[in-house]
Amino acid sequence: MPQAPKLAPTLGELLQERGVSRRAFLKYASYLSAVMALPAGSASALAEGLANARRQSVIWLSFQECTGCTESLTRSFSPTLESLIFDLISLDYHHTLQAASGEAAEKAREAAMAENKGKYVVVVDGAVPTKDGGLYSTIAGVSNLDMLKATAKDAMAVIAVGTCAAFGGIPKARPNPTGAAAIDEIITDKPIINIPGCPPIPEAMAGVVSYLVSFVKLPELDHLRRPKAFFGETIHDRCYRRPFYERGLFAEGFDDAGARQGWCLYKVGCKGPVTYNACATLKWNGGVSFPIQSGHGCLGCSEPDFWDQGGFYRPLSTNLRDMGPALAGAALAGAALGAGAAWASRRHQESYQREQNPNEGDKK
Amino acid sequence: MTTQALHPSVSPQEPPRLTGMSEAVLAEVAARLAEVVAGASVPPIDLTAMPLTSEDRADLEQRLGRGEVFATVESAGRSQIWETQFSGVWFVRHFGENDRIASECIEFGAAPEILFSHRADMSAAARRLAAALQSADAREKTDH
Amino acid sequence: MTLLEFARGPALQVAMIIFVLGATWRFFGALLLPWRLAPAEPRKGALSPIAAAFKGVVVKMWPHKPFQKAGMFTFVNGYILHFGLAIVVFLFAPHILFIKGLTGLSWPALPNNLVYTVGVVTMASLVAGLVHRLRSPVLRLISRFDDYLSWLLTLLPVLTGLLAAAHLGARYETLLAVHILSICTFLIWFPFGKLMHAFMFVFSRAMTGVRMGQRGAEL
Ligand code: SF4
Ligand code: SF4
Repeated sequence: MPQAPKLAPTLGELLQERGVSRRAFLKYASYLSAVMALPAGSASALAEGLANARRQSVIWLSFQECTGCTESLTRSFSPTLESLIFDLISLDYHHTLQAASGEAAEKAREAAMAENKGKYVVVVDGAVPTKDGGLYSTIAGVSNLDMLKATAKDAMAVIAVGTCAAFGGIPKARPNPTGAAAIDEIITDKPIINIPGCPPIPEAMAGVVSYLVSFVKLPELDHLRRPKAFFGETIHDRCYRRPFYERGLFAEGFDDAGARQGWCLYKVGCKGPVTYNACATLKWNGGVSFPIQSGHGCLGCSEPDFWDQGGFYRPLSTNLRDMGPALAGAALAGAALGAGAAWASRRHQESYQREQNPNEGDKK
Repeated sequence: MTTQALHPSVSPQEPPRLTGMSEAVLAEVAARLAEVVAGASVPPIDLTAMPLTSEDRADLEQRLGRGEVFATVESAGRSQIWETQFSGVWFVRHFGENDRIASECIEFGAAPEILFSHRADMSAAARRLAAALQSADAREKTDH
Repeated sequence: MTLLEFARGPALQVAMIIFVLGATWRFFGALLLPWRLAPAEPRKGALSPIAAAFKGVVVKMWPHKPFQKAGMFTFVNGYILHFGLAIVVFLFAPHILFIKGLTGLSWPALPNNLVYTVGVVTMASLVAGLVHRLRSPVLRLISRFDDYLSWLLTLLPVLTGLLAAAHLGARYETLLAVHILSICTFLIWFPFGKLMHAFMFVFSRAMTGVRMGQRGAEL
């Protein structure tokens, strides 16, 4: 039944039919290369790459998640520049966004997999429950675990979107009742890109997909498989409140004078110094603001196990465990040991003295 | 209790000032323009991600000034392009949603790339125009 | 568990417990020993033991005239080192937050930039101290493993703290974790070596004062 495959139109051709010129590509490319800090002058190469690429087949799997990642991505695209990204990919399966449902949806997924074997990209949001055979989350009767393995088998690459997919996120937070695991704990033989965040910054997601489509290679990743272009610096590195940090001007609460004057939020638990993400530069909602600008410390949402770091309002420099009772016990035990040692030493000295001058002790 | 008490002299809300970055960018512009004059083609300077304060940006824009050409491009949103008062130095500003500046750069050369018509667009246009003429022809013939 | 989580969590917990246990043990173990004086009668005109103890503590804060020339470096460098350490440890905002988390106590901090500068000075004085020790044959002769280990374990937190502040050498979270771990080793060694002088020096100086006073020696 399959005929000789006719070459699909390039993105340039595809969009031309809709009256989108190459200038749009160039504009998008210069935007992207600015955002991803690509070497100067790579915008035209990127634009050409994009225009000559074929539409990328994408299968989007949603597992143990809250749909916040999808919300973040879809809500933030305006009908202009950023919407181009959706024209770059053919979203063959996304059970929140696609019109088809039930069996038809699953068929679409299987068809896309067969047609684009070895070439499609799998995007995953949500962690994967692994306990008890993965029965804690199923779609159409198939466990997330099995669906991920089957879908990733013939994929070109897997993109883990959001902290849950990238690091296990909230489902994996202690005590992790479902045995939730990150994608790269399960899929080990495919290129994986993590785009963490709770939710991730939409530009990061769009940027990575565009990069993948036009350069047909993975962007440079850090040791947690995060693209360096977006996760190369900490929030603290680029935070506009940083001068206050250096000068020691801290808000002590959320409504004190310091908070009103925009001082550093370290004391109220900001995790910016150890959180790699682009919030401070790209910002949110189309560049309107980001959490610290809105007066709240960074939660560290793009880092592994951010939920279990001792509390969002606990300063970074404090210890994670409650030590009061243990230390009081240690002090008591130490005092007792010390007293015991001193007592033993006194006894020893006395007996020694008695041995030396047996009479003196009696006289006293 | 208050850490702040130790810094009575510091006013935390000082407005962002000129940081000297605009000066540095201008020096780079001059260097690249010289290269262009010598016949090289040089990459643009991307301003989007540069740590410039709003004062720095204003200063840079003002000192580059406006030249003879000003263009608006409507493609995937609006873009404004102008030649600065220094020929061969172009300011290119792309807007995204809500008139937010999406990216911004300084380009060098006879004209920035985005002003040129792309070959692919031209050949598509040629096809479109030919098709339009043909159908007009056909209509005329049926009219007579 | 990340390295930082390990450092902030179990490592710090174990180190603190060992520190408190060991320090109270040695503290009480020493102080509850008999405060034995020489069995002789005090000299005529000798200071009362309390006055002698007090004088012993105070007078030893500056070298005696005859030793001023030879001992000046040790004294001045020692003061720089100890004041530097005190400032860096107790007047840096993140450190105060740590102490506040443990004890509920807090006090004003110095600006971070100033603390960084003091940190560099402290480092320099630590290094100068070691060089001095190695170059003096007498000091070298009386130095033991304990002296060098205590020196190293004091240096490491200062060094790693400065590196973390400057974001030098590794990613910040790694530097921070290493900094905390270096403090853990410092805390673990503290009660068992010469670092314990931080708690004991007052008592040993006082005791020396009392003994010398009883014999009528000039303090
Ligand atoms: S608010 Fe947070 S990220 Fe910003 S300077 Fe303070 S600690 Fe760093
Ligand atoms: S500021 Fe921090 S917690 Fe907030 S979105 Fe960015 S990385 Fe996540």
